[in-house]
Amino acid sequence: MEGKELGLWGSSVIGAIGLLVFLSLWEILVRTNVIDPFFLPAPTQVIDKAIQMTTAKDAVLLTDIKISATRVLTGFLLSVLAGVPAGLILGMNPVIRAAINPIISIIRPLPALSWIPLSMLWLGIDEQQKYAIVFMGSFASILVYTTDATMRVDPTLRRAAMNLGASPLQILRYVILPGALPDLLTGLKVVLAIAWTCVISAEMVGANSGLGFRIWTAKEWSDTGQVLVGMISISVTVLVLDILFRGLERVLLPYQRKTSGT
Amino acid sequence: MSETLIKFDNITKRFSLRKGDIVAVKDFSLEIKKGEILTIVGASGCGKTTVLNMVAGFLTPSSGNILLDGQPITKIEPRCGMIFQNYALFPWLSVRKNVEFGPKINGVSKKVRREESAKYIEMVGLKGFEDAYPGELSGGMRQRTALCRVLANKPDILLCDEPFAALDAMTRQIMQQELLRIVNESGQTVLFITHSIDEALILSDKIVVMSVRPGTVKHIYDIELPHFGKVEVQLTDEYLKLKRQIWAMVEEEVKISMKIVSS
Ligand SMILES: Nc1ncnc2c1ncn2[C@@H]1O[C@H](COP(=O)(O)OP(=O)(O)OP(=O)(O)O)[C@@H](O)[C@H]1O
Ligand SMILES: [Mg+2]
Repeated sequence: MEGKELGLWGSSVIGAIGLLVFLSLWEILVRTNVIDPFFLPAPTQVIDKAIQMTTAKDAVLLTDIKISATRVLTGFLLSVLAGVPAGLILGMNPVIRAAINPIISIIRPLPALSWIPLSMLWLGIDEQQKYAIVFMGSFASILVYTTDATMRVDPTLRRAAMNLGASPLQILRYVILPGALPDLLTGLKVVLAIAWTCVISAEMVGANSGLGFRIWTAKEWSDTGQVLVGMISISVTVLVLDILFRGLERVLLPYQRKTSGT
Repeated sequence: MSETLIKFDNITKRFSLRKGDIVAVKDFSLEIKKGEILTIVGASGCGKTTVLNMVAGFLTPSSGNILLDGQPITKIEPRCGMIFQNYALFPWLSVRKNVEFGPKINGVSKKVRREESAKYIEMVGLKGFEDAYPGELSGGMRQRTALCRVLANKPDILLCDEPFAALDAMTRQIMQQELLRIVNESGQTVLFITHSIDEALILSDKIVVMSVRPGTVKHIYDIELPHFGKVEVQLTDEYLKLKRQIWAMVEEEVKISMKIVSS
């Protein structure tokens, strides 16, 4: 066994066992009152709570997930639409890159949270402000990832295309874009996770819907069960989006699937 | 014979490195006639690829001009199709799409494109691998794909940077004959680099031996052997005499280059 890879099945089974042991221990510790359920309800109680939040006639949980996901995806798509073309230009033009670099270096390290006060002053607490937070939190990263991915495209491939008669626009379309795509998708996956933290923070500070808001109000009511349901919902939603993203990668990069081998 | 197509007029190419300049090619003068197959041989690092890169327009000479039909080459020149030493295939495109890249860019209809690519792919023995990606091919198969890609684009001039180096002896011989056949039909001009003197003798109208760095033209041999004689030619006295001469000259240069490196 030593040093051997576990197959997909093997690692799934072991993972499931690990999770089950963890949940059982947690359940037992709460049931035997070692942990006060007021601080940390048992898994079964959390599940009850989740069912209650989805089956009640307003089905808050599902609405919250939908609202938060919409905010994340809208803001994320907006920054992709702005950041990817801008990154391509930066990646291909050293003059523009040199001009813009200092501005990016100032904006990029700012946590999304630090944009909340300004955005609230400018846009209030409606949807636009949520989109703006996500946008500000992800734009600079997308820009940098795209620029790097563009610059990493093998220059001999550009030469080869030019040698075959490609115009600058054709180089962009047929060499730079497909060449940068693998690194670009990896970058976007990271940024999508960042976008989630942006939305949850924004919803905790000023909102009246969404998962972040739900968790924050539950805290006001000392409803730890609801806090946990909210947190787990975030995990699950991010996981689902990640799986969808991987599927997208497989569709867009068929040549990588085949060459990586099994 | 026919008119001069490419003229190197006292070319020098200098590269600036952090530790100072190096002169890769110096006072390089040469004329290539239309329809001619000219092969460059020389020690590793003597500047062969650099010469080819300047003809393709990837590099500009530090001094001197390279004239194509009397006009200096100033930008990347699609009339000169380059077969790269490291293949430079598009990893995200299948063999077929790689081969069809040039025709597609140049607006050849899909139907014609498909027919042409099928013809070339079959010719280099890659039938059945049309939908494979470069990452799934062996080195020799990649090299053949790269050759196809350039041939399908029908450039006036073929620049071949050791295009058969990764092939086994048999495949290599077949590819050499195919190349000769195509070039004979199309009248394309070929500038070829190889480390194999046999390959040079089989393919060429002229063989240029380059000196060690800074690379310059050391000697030009006019070859008048029949191209399609296959193996028998290689046993004639004339062939063996030329081979011995060129071998001795290249060997001398290689020895000098090794000494430069080791001292
Ligand atoms: N872009 C570059 N920058 C700096 N030096 C370079 C560059 N390209 C080539 N050189 C140098 O120029 C010299 C000639 O290189 P070149 O690639 O033309 O050799 P070559 O004859 O093709 O060798 P080989 O037979 O090994 O392919 C070498 O010393 C190399 O280090
Ligand atoms: Mg070389």
